[in-house]
Amino acid sequence: MSQELNAESAAFTFKGGMLPMTVLELASNDVDLIEQQLSGKISQAPAFFQQTPVVLGLDKWEEGTLELERLCAMLRSHKLLPVAVRGGSDTIKQSAWALGMGWFPPNEARTPAHAAPVEQVVRGANREEQDDAVNHYGARVFRGTVRSGQQLSAPRGDLIVVGAVNAGAEILAAGSIHVYGALRGRALAGIHGDLDAAVFCQELRAELIAIAGNYKRLEDIDPEMLGKSVQAHMVEDQLDISAFEL
Amino acid sequence: MAKIIVVTSGKGGVGKTTSAAAIATGLAQRGKKTIVIDFDVGLRNLDLIMGCERRVVYDLINVIQGEAGLNQAMIRDKRIDNLYVLPASQTRDKDALTLEGVERVLDTLKESFDFIICDSPAGIERGAQLAMYFADEAVVVTNPEVSSVRDSDRILGLLSSKTRRAEQGGEPLKEHLLITRYSPNRVTSGDMLNLEDIREILSIPLLGLIPESEAVLRASNQGVPVTHDHDSDAGQAYGDTVDRLLGEDRALRFHEEQKRGFLSRMFGGGRR
Repeated sequence: MSQELNAESAAFTFKGGMLPMTVLELASNDVDLIEQQLSGKISQAPAFFQQTPVVLGLDKWEEGTLELERLCAMLRSHKLLPVAVRGGSDTIKQSAWALGMGWFPPNEARTPAHAAPVEQVVRGANREEQDDAVNHYGARVFRGTVRSGQQLSAPRGDLIVVGAVNAGAEILAAGSIHVYGALRGRALAGIHGDLDAAVFCQELRAELIAIAGNYKRLEDIDPEMLGKSVQAHMVEDQLDISAFEL
Repeated sequence: MAKIIVVTSGKGGVGKTTSAAAIATGLAQRGKKTIVIDFDVGLRNLDLIMGCERRVVYDLINVIQGEAGLNQAMIRDKRIDNLYVLPASQTRDKDALTLEGVERVLDTLKESFDFIICDSPAGIERGAQLAMYFADEAVVVTNPEVSSVRDSDRILGLLSSKTRRAEQGGEPLKEHLLITRYSPNRVTSGDMLNLEDIREILSIPLLGLIPESEAVLRASNQGVPVTHDHDSDAGQAYGDTVDRLLGEDRALRFHEEQKRGFLSRMFGGGRR
């Protein structure tokens, strides 16, 4: 194909792209201090500083000032090419635009809410005993019918049964129990004493439901609740069983 | 290679032996070379149901302990050529059954038969576990009552953990539900569990439904498996069951209350 295009064909197209980009996360606004520490890095890895485009990460700077122009000049003198600013105050955004640089909103992934699962995964992976059916969070998923005489337990987390738990079967969990089917057997949640654990089931027929040692037998359960989708949880030291308002 | 099918239930008196005899007879009638083995050591009944009790010389235990050969112990059915019975011992106890012995007998039989039907004793002890251990398929016999359904549920749990197929992995054992002594009238009146409740609790495919019938009692006492009684409702229901076991499609019958009309009352009165 020829590079020469006629007037009607497109001279360009916009395309989304994900380019690898170095972010210079700033913990200080002291340009002199930054330069001093930067010189140390340059001596360690000179090949890195070859007009490398960088984004200035100011995510943690809701307020505060920065001598942006001076910082950029200093970086260029060390062969780093500041192309954009991420985060920072409104004033910093305005100065970035004035300097011909782009501006990105602060990175959400750095907030604590998102950081938490990563930590859990690492903790889970380090655990010594690993059951195949136990995922990294300690939850156990069982698909099928739990039959009379069978016992199923999740000693470190939640237990999820996709199927029925028949009369004469027993299911136990350190955390909560979820049954997507009829619960006709015994369900014991919070076996290590977790009072926040709960039992959820699609059809209540349970012989016994217990949370951290507080139990209700079938005879103690309000007959109104039988056959319904319910949750059982602790409410002021009492095991409460209530139907879902769906 | 033969297919090994265990007929089991957990609970006693639900119709395991009757069903094992009826299914074995039905398979043989359809040209399959079949042997039915009584695993109920000490409480043998299969020979009576099959009508061969007067011809028993050696039994399963004798074969396992090397006191008799298989051909000496196998009894050929008088009515159908390719049907054999291997009776249990009435004088020994269940400990005489060994896993290795059972395996040896089944391995030998597998070479010359199409189907090996194992009639399990009641309960979940050694005899029942040995009867099911080598099975390829299981027929779980259930009556429409709560205790029977719960025991069948327990047996299904064992089938999925205490059999060779479960222990060695690979293709799982095939489970079939056979409901016996079903009486539509009593289901309607609420005396019995209905078909849908049983299926929902046990959640395995339904192989057959045998209605409560005098024909079964008559057959047991005469020593003629009820499958031979083509005119009876139970005989036809077992026939359907065997057809389904062989992979054929048969519509479910005898599960609804019969509205008996004038003509049926006049001419069909003797059917039951």
